[in-house]
Amino acid sequence: MSHATGEARLGAALGAPLSRTLLVICIGVAAMVGLPVVITAIQAFQGGASAAKTAFTGSATPTLFLHTIELAALATPACGGLGLGAAWLVERTRVPGRRIWPLLLVAPLAVPLFVTSYAWATLSSSFTGFWGAAGIVTFSYYPIVFLLVAASLRVMNPALEETARSLGLGAWGTFTRVVLPQLRPALFGGMLLVLLDTLVEFDAFVALKFQTLSVNIYAQYQLGLSAAGAAALSLFSTLICVMVLLGECRLTGRTNYTRIIQGAQRGVVRHRLGRATPVALAGLVLLVAVSLGIPLGLLVHWFAQGGQTAGAPAGIESLWPATVTTVLLGASSGLVAVLLALPVAILAVRHSGRLATTIERSVYLSFALPDLVAAIALAYGASHIVHFLYGTVVLIVLAEAMLFAPFAVVALRGTIGLIDPALEESGRALGLGPVETLWRVTVPLARPGLAAGGVLVFAFVLGDLSTAQVLLPPGLTTLGTQFWADTGTVAYGAAAPYAAVLIVLALLATYVLMSRFGRVRGLDAR
Amino acid sequence: MAELRCEQISASYGAEDVLSGVDMVVPDGTLTAILGASGSGKTTLLRVIMGFIAQQSGAVLIGGTVVARAGDMHLPPEKRSVGYVAQEGALYPHLSVAENVLFGLPRRARKASARAFELLELVGLNPRYGARRPHELSGGEQRRVALARALAPRPPLVLLDEPFSGLDAALREDTRAAVLFALAAQGTTAVLVTHDQAEALSMGRKVGVLMAGRLVQTAAPAVLYRRPANLDVAQFVGKAVVLRGRAAAGIVSCPLGDLPLVDRAVAGSVDAMIRPEQIRIQPASARSPASGADHRGVIAKVSARTFYGPDSVVQLQVDGSQTPIPARVLGHEVPGPGEYVELTVAGRVMAYPSLASPLGHAASPEPDALLTGLAPR
Repeated sequence: MSHATGEARLGAALGAPLSRTLLVICIGVAAMVGLPVVITAIQAFQGGASAAKTAFTGSATPTLFLHTIELAALATPACGGLGLGAAWLVERTRVPGRRIWPLLLVAPLAVPLFVTSYAWATLSSSFTGFWGAAGIVTFSYYPIVFLLVAASLRVMNPALEETARSLGLGAWGTFTRVVLPQLRPALFGGMLLVLLDTLVEFDAFVALKFQTLSVNIYAQYQLGLSAAGAAALSLFSTLICVMVLLGECRLTGRTNYTRIIQGAQRGVVRHRLGRATPVALAGLVLLVAVSLGIPLGLLVHWFAQGGQTAGAPAGIESLWPATVTTVLLGASSGLVAVLLALPVAILAVRHSGRLATTIERSVYLSFALPDLVAAIALAYGASHIVHFLYGTVVLIVLAEAMLFAPFAVVALRGTIGLIDPALEESGRALGLGPVETLWRVTVPLARPGLAAGGVLVFAFVLGDLSTAQVLLPPGLTTLGTQFWADTGTVAYGAAAPYAAVLIVLALLATYVLMSRFGRVRGLDAR
Repeated sequence: MAELRCEQISASYGAEDVLSGVDMVVPDGTLTAILGASGSGKTTLLRVIMGFIAQQSGAVLIGGTVVARAGDMHLPPEKRSVGYVAQEGALYPHLSVAENVLFGLPRRARKASARAFELLELVGLNPRYGARRPHELSGGEQRRVALARALAPRPPLVLLDEPFSGLDAALREDTRAAVLFALAAQGTTAVLVTHDQAEALSMGRKVGVLMAGRLVQTAAPAVLYRRPANLDVAQFVGKAVVLRGRAAAGIVSCPLGDLPLVDRAVAGSVDAMIRPEQIRIQPASARSPASGADHRGVIAKVSARTFYGPDSVVQLQVDGSQTPIPARVLGHEVPGPGEYVELTVAGRVMAYPSLASPLGHAASPEPDALLTGLAPR
C-alpha cells in the first residue's frame, strides 16, 4: 500500500513512525489557530500603505511599543520568580499548609483580569499606569508558572536530589545545581505563556488607563479611525510573537527531560525550613493577599456600598441568564479547545524533530493578535466566507477555543509526557488501531490532563471580555459583559453580583484544575 | 577510617513497621551486602543511614561518630559524607558524564578534567566518555559513572541501592568486578542492598539477611550459605532440599541415608537441609536396581532433567520421599528421565529441630519431604 510506505518513509526521517493522519490533523489545527492572523493581514493590505502609515505615524506608536515591551520585560521574570519560589516552597519544603496553598496560589489565574484591574484602580489611583499594569499582570499570571513548575517538581526523580545531598549539597545547592536545570522547560514554558499573554493583554489595562499597543489598537477600532490601520498595527504584535517563539526555540533547545515513571513512587525528601518557616509563610500569605485578597476585597467593598445606596441593584434579573450563558460558553469552549489540543500534544510528546516542534509552536500563534483583533478578524472572515456562522454561538465557541488552545496544549503535554509509550505500544500489539489505542489507552490515562486543560480554558473564557463583546450573538450576555456594562456606568453595586459569581466559578475551576494538572490516572505522584 | 555501626534501628511508615531493631556493624574498608526480598525494608535501611528518613529509635554511627540518634540528633544527609548510588544511577541528564562525575567536588576542583578521567578509569570506563551525555551510555556504563560520582569526594562510606538491577547477566559480572575494584582501590567502606542471592554472596565480605524488617543473620557468605541460622534463611539464600529425619550422635537419618551433621549437638526429630549440589549421582545401571545389595548410596530414578549449560538439575525419585529431590550436576553426561542412579551426599548437612507437630506441617502436601528453594536461575 502506498499509504503505508509513505508513512514508513516519513517516520524513518523523523526517528519514530509519524502517522500521516496525525500530522494532517495537527497542521489543520495550526492553520485554524493562525487564521485570524491571515485575515488581519488581508485587512491591513486592503487599507493600502497610506492607512498603515497614518496608523503608525499618527499615534504614539513607538511609545506604546516601548510600554508593551517594558511591561513584558518586567512582568515575565517577576512571574517566573514568584511562581518558581512558591512552587518550590509547596513541593519541596515542610512549609505548613501544603494542601491549601496550591489552591490559593492558583486561584488568581481564574479571577478575571478586568475584575482585578478594577480592584487595583479602586484601591488607589497610584496603581494606575505602568506600575499598576505590571503589578496586575505579575500577580495574575504568576500562577501559570506555578502550575507548570509545581507539576514538574512532582514528577522529578527524587533520586536526583538525594544523590546531590549525598554529595554534600544543602537545600540551596541542590536547588540551583540540580532542581533548577531540570525545571528549565517548565519554567521557560510558563514564562513564555506569560510573556505572550502580556504582549496582547488589553482588558486589564483599560481600567488602569495604561496605554499599550493593544489598547491603542482598540482605540483605533473604537474611534472608527481606520480598521485597516488597526490591522496593520496588530501585525506588529504578530511580529513580536513570532520573534519570541523563534527565540524560545533556541533558548530551550532540544533537550527532553520528560521522565517516564517506573516502579513504586516514593515521596521526596522535603527540606526543613526551621527558623525560616515564618518568613516563608509570610511570603505566601502576602502573595495570596495581594493576588487574591485585593479582588475579593473589592467585592466586599462594592457589596457594602450597594447596601448603603439601597434599592435593588439594577439589572440583577439578568444574573441567572448571564451565568448560564457564561458556564455553557466556557464549558463548550473548554471541550473544543481540548479536542484541538489533544493531537498537537500527542505530536509534541511522542515525536521530536523540527516538523513536530514547529507545528506545536504554531499553536502559540493564537497569541499573535490581541483578543479583540482576532475576534474582529473572525467576525470579518465569517461574514464574508461562512455567513451562516456569523452571529452564532458556534463562532464564539470556536474563537474562544482557538484563543486559549495553547493552555490546553500545555496541560495535555504535561500529562501525556508521563505516560509510558510502552502502554500505547502494547495496545497496538494487542491489535488496537491508532484511534482505538488513543481512545482506550491514552485518553483514559490522560483524563486528569484533559480535565485540567478544559478547566484552564474555562477559566480564561470567564475572564475574557473582548471576544464576547465582538462575537456574542445579540440578546445574550455573559457575566463579563454585564460587569463591564455596569462598571462603565459606574453602577458598582450592580456589578458586584456578577463579579461575585465570576469569582465563585473561578474558585471552583481552580479546585478542579489543582487536583488534575500534570497527573496521570493511577499514577499519583504523591 | 570509617566503620559503620547501626544500633537497634527501628523505622515505620505510619502504623506499619518497616525496620525493627536492626543491629549491624560494617568494618572499615569492607563491603557488607544486605540481602532481602522486595518489601523487606532494605532500601529503608539505606535511607536511614543516608539520613533521607529519620528512624523512630536507634542510632547510626559512622567512624565512631553519631550521625543520627532517634529523638536526639539527625545530621542532614549532606553533612554525613556518605556516598550514595541510587537505583538506575540517577545521573543528571543536563550534565555531561565528566560533569556528573565531578558534581560533588568544590567549585574549583570541578574544572579539573584530569580528575574526571582518573575516576572514569577507576571504574573501568574509557576517559573519552567524559564528553558524552548520560543517555548515550549503556545501563552498565551509567552505573559505573554513578559510582565514580559517588567516589569522587572520597567518602569514607558508600551505599549502593540495587546498583546492578536491570542489567543482563554478562554486564552484571563485569560491572560488579569494576565496582569491587574501585571500592577496594579507595579503601571505601560499603553497604550494598540487593535481592539477588548470587550478587550478595559473591560481593560481600559479610552478608546480612533482612526479613520483614529484621536482620536475621549476618555472616561471611560461605557460613551463611552452609550454616544458615534457620530454615527460612536457608531457603532464601539458595535452593534447599528439606527432609524430615531423626538426629542422634552427630548423624541424621533421612530418606537420603545416614548423613553427618554440621552441628553434632542437634538431636531428636529434625528437618535436615541439604543443598542440591551436595547430592552426587553416578550411574546405577550396571547393577540391577532391584538387587539393592552392597552400594553405599541410595538408588533413585530420574524423573526429569533441566539443562542450564554448564550444569543441569535432575529431579530424583527416592523411596521415602513423595516429591522429587533436585540435584545440581556438572558436566556433560547427565542421566535422562527413566534412568536409575546411585545417590550420595557430600559433606555435612544442617539440621533444625523440627517445629514438629504434624500440625505444623499439615498445610504442606508432603509432610515427609519439603522441597523448597527459588525458581532455577
